[in-house]
Amino acid sequence: MTFRACHTLLYLVLCLLALLFLSPILLMVMGSLKADGRVLVEAGSLKAFWPGQVSLNNYEDVFRRVDFGRYMVNSLFINCSIVISGLLVNSLAGYAFARLQWRGRDLLFGMVLLVMIVPLEAIAVPLFYQVTLLGWRDSYLVQIVPFIANAFSIYLFQTFFLGLPRELEEAARMDGAGILRTFFSIIVPNAKPAFATAAILTFLSQWGAFLWPLMVTSGEAVRPLPLAIAAFYTLPPLQWGDIFAFGVMMVSPVLLVFLLFQNWFVRGVATTGIKG
Amino acid sequence: MTDDRHGRTLIAWFFIAPGLLGLALFVALPFLLAVGLSCTNLRLGSPLPLEFVGFEQFRRIFSEPTLLRALANNGLFALVVVPLQTLLALGLALLLNRRLAGLIFFRTIFFMPVVFPLSLVAVVWVLIFAPGINGMLNSALDVVSLGAWQPRDFLHDPYLALPAIMLTSIWQGMGFQMVIILAGLQAINQELYEAAAMDGAGRWRQFVNITLPQLRNTLIFVVLVTTVLAFRLFDQVQIMTQGGPRNATTTAMYEAVQAAFGRQQVGRGAAITVVLFCVAVAITCLQRRIIRQERQVS
Amino acid sequence: MREQVMLLVIAVLLLVAGCAEEQGEQPGVMKLQAWVHAGQQAERLVLEEQVARFNRRQQGVQLELTLIPERSYNAQIQAAALAGDLPDLLEFDGPYLANYVWQGHLRPLDDLLPSQLKDDLLPSIITQGTYRGRLFAVGVFDSGLGLYGRRSQLLATGARIPARPDEAWGAEEFSRLLKELAKGDADGAVLDLKFNYPGEWFTYAFSPIVQSAGGDLLDRRHSGKAAGVLDSSESVGALTQLQSWLAAGYVDGNVDDAAFVSGRVALSWAGHWEYRRYKEMVGDDLVALPLPDFGYGSRTGQGSWCWGITATGDRAKAAGTFLRFLLRPAEVLAMSGANGAVPATHSALAQSELYGPRGPLHLFAEQLSGGISVTRPRTPAYPVITSAFQQAFHDIRHGADVRTTLQRAAAIIDEDIADNKGYP
Repeated sequence: MTFRACHTLLYLVLCLLALLFLSPILLMVMGSLKADGRVLVEAGSLKAFWPGQVSLNNYEDVFRRVDFGRYMVNSLFINCSIVISGLLVNSLAGYAFARLQWRGRDLLFGMVLLVMIVPLEAIAVPLFYQVTLLGWRDSYLVQIVPFIANAFSIYLFQTFFLGLPRELEEAARMDGAGILRTFFSIIVPNAKPAFATAAILTFLSQWGAFLWPLMVTSGEAVRPLPLAIAAFYTLPPLQWGDIFAFGVMMVSPVLLVFLLFQNWFVRGVATTGIKG
Repeated sequence: MTDDRHGRTLIAWFFIAPGLLGLALFVALPFLLAVGLSCTNLRLGSPLPLEFVGFEQFRRIFSEPTLLRALANNGLFALVVVPLQTLLALGLALLLNRRLAGLIFFRTIFFMPVVFPLSLVAVVWVLIFAPGINGMLNSALDVVSLGAWQPRDFLHDPYLALPAIMLTSIWQGMGFQMVIILAGLQAINQELYEAAAMDGAGRWRQFVNITLPQLRNTLIFVVLVTTVLAFRLFDQVQIMTQGGPRNATTTAMYEAVQAAFGRQQVGRGAAITVVLFCVAVAITCLQRRIIRQERQVS
Repeated sequence: MREQVMLLVIAVLLLVAGCAEEQGEQPGVMKLQAWVHAGQQAERLVLEEQVARFNRRQQGVQLELTLIPERSYNAQIQAAALAGDLPDLLEFDGPYLANYVWQGHLRPLDDLLPSQLKDDLLPSIITQGTYRGRLFAVGVFDSGLGLYGRRSQLLATGARIPARPDEAWGAEEFSRLLKELAKGDADGAVLDLKFNYPGEWFTYAFSPIVQSAGGDLLDRRHSGKAAGVLDSSESVGALTQLQSWLAAGYVDGNVDDAAFVSGRVALSWAGHWEYRRYKEMVGDDLVALPLPDFGYGSRTGQGSWCWGITATGDRAKAAGTFLRFLLRPAEVLAMSGANGAVPATHSALAQSELYGPRGPLHLFAEQLSGGISVTRPRTPAYPVITSAFQQAFHDIRHGADVRTTLQRAAAIIDEDIADNKGYP
């Protein structure tokens, strides 16, 4: 009896917390279904969470005002390229830091950790001069290449590989496999959680990128989604409905990716260095 | 033997080269350039010749109250948000660390804010903090307090603006910590709890004697990452308060971006980020030292 | 399996990205690039039509528009300039003119525009586009700033309704009016200062009261410095007056931008762009008024988006053709009809229903041609000036001591000017 009561209480608490957590998201989703003028007026009452007359006008507006498909394709392409090349590059580096013996390893690893602290905003201007010298402005390349190597991902892979049992590799060595083949045929299949974690974290941190693409691109051809939202911040009154509809559409693919991979992700977190 | 070692170093370099080259070219080199720029008067697009000004930029930013206030705000933000967010995340993770139907659903909900870009989150919260009784938070507090609540203009109140930004950040960031802590909890050997239960230890004793020590490294990692993020605080400030009222919410990163991109004073902006970097490194070193001591003790 | 799906996705994305790359260029056609701000929908559509019309009329010249989000517009131009990627034609916000000229991005327009066209431009447009004696930019429209009021509410307090700038309410008179209005108001907030607007609004809308009091953002005639002018007792007096309205609770926070249309306030400090929305909601009760006079006559803001040319040689000549096309009365009126702004030429102004002699917004035209409007300082230091003034304004809004706040702003501005050797 008390056991059940305890559980009921737990669920009640969780439901209440979940509602609190969801309310800003609900506000956004419901707002995206309302006429622009009603979003703010109704924010102070329970109507904020109820669309009333559902209309998809805001979504139509988004497609009318910006080339949403183009921005979405750009964003997906840029992000997928960063994630996929990043997984390869950073896992290789992480492996070398974790399992290979070579001179200068610890010193270099310390420097990788230092680099982790540098925020993009701090280096944006000099980095801008560099890519300009390379003639990379206004391209996909300039939005992808600088972000492939990632200190945090390297750190993540390093700690994960440290935790893998050595027997796996030794067995492969016995069979005469070289280091490279061992890595791809033995290590990678056993490191799926780490790859999932690194992929999701990289994707999340790049999806909202604003400052850099703003500096290095102009025009719609290669610009990603976060820049498109600027099109909705013109003269007030702001069209909250449009902004929210844009937000919902921008977040949905990320949410989908997370929902698909969340179990891997949680397992990845449990087995990589993130947990300590 | 030496040959073998040589070969291994070569392979290691092959593994490491792409990643290291990327970091060197696109993070380390620009950062060194930024350090160099911080000793110049560089103004974006200026036709005047670049001049070396030594530590003038640093002297200036430390003699102005604004940047000191910004660093203080960063510190205050970290002091409040880091423990609060960690405690909340720990609490939630403990609630969710059971084998019960539907908990994955809740886990997903609590994690959901993490996938929202900060720029979008901040816009939604501006609406929540809207002044007057029509504001969402104001009217919610009005209902909860049975009408005793006086509507506030949160984002323009010198005492409430920073807490408002803190709340937004906690909402957005907690889910991530929760998942990390949850993973840490699930990695704890269940036999430890069974043994403790046999010894007659209650829930609280188990928590203090097993859960916390086992989670120590997880918690330290969480605290470290959140602290570094606290010193990078920017998007929320930019969208919600623009550093106001009267510098109550300005941060070092906000000041740096304002200088470099708003006023085109790149040298000054670079100097601020160098200071910020030093602060972040100092904190990280401190925290790593604490971890090391812990490991020696255990 | 999963890997294959991933590879497929990448392949498709690459394909899509590849297909969308530019198509080949026709020989013998000069392609001109132009950057414009991505403003309101109506404004954008008209500009796109204008470009289409221009391209049809021109043999051998094709103009291409690139829309740039309004936020961080200057940062994007700076970035493109550093990379040498500026387009042939550049639209930009008026006060940045001197900065761009000083950086060497713009070419003078004197030889590209016939003198009769220049004579037709409003004096405010000429002033905005001129730096060190040469014309570098022309606007197709100018802006108007004033007070919108509900006539019936104003008359109920016994106030007089000023129709022309020289009849503007005095600052004291205005304060009394606010007090009267507040008596009959539910929450006591009767004035909308558009506090919901971002950035530049605050310099644009509130530096005129400093000038109306006899102060300014900096000494334009002599020293070129801010100290002694921005923090003069005249400037301090004007902003102290404004601070007193805030302290008395007369000003609505206006987060929803509906303070005036929803009837919460009787007065709204706003620009020409609000006319249509206000007229729709308030009807014939709407009246446009000059800003209050702080002692030296009513002053108002001025300036808006304008066009400059970065190209050289033949491309510059072609770009000049486009500017001449945009300044034809019909085109000026088309744009003004779309965004509601003041037409930039006398010839278009005379035909304008809103701004013509009998139009409801004739006041704004009168302010621009009658020397009531003040152009924001034309110096490359402007980005710093406006940043410092905005910061000071917000601090004053939140109760900071006016004099010390303005002194600090003046010091920031003068430091930047000294750092850049006075912007030679």
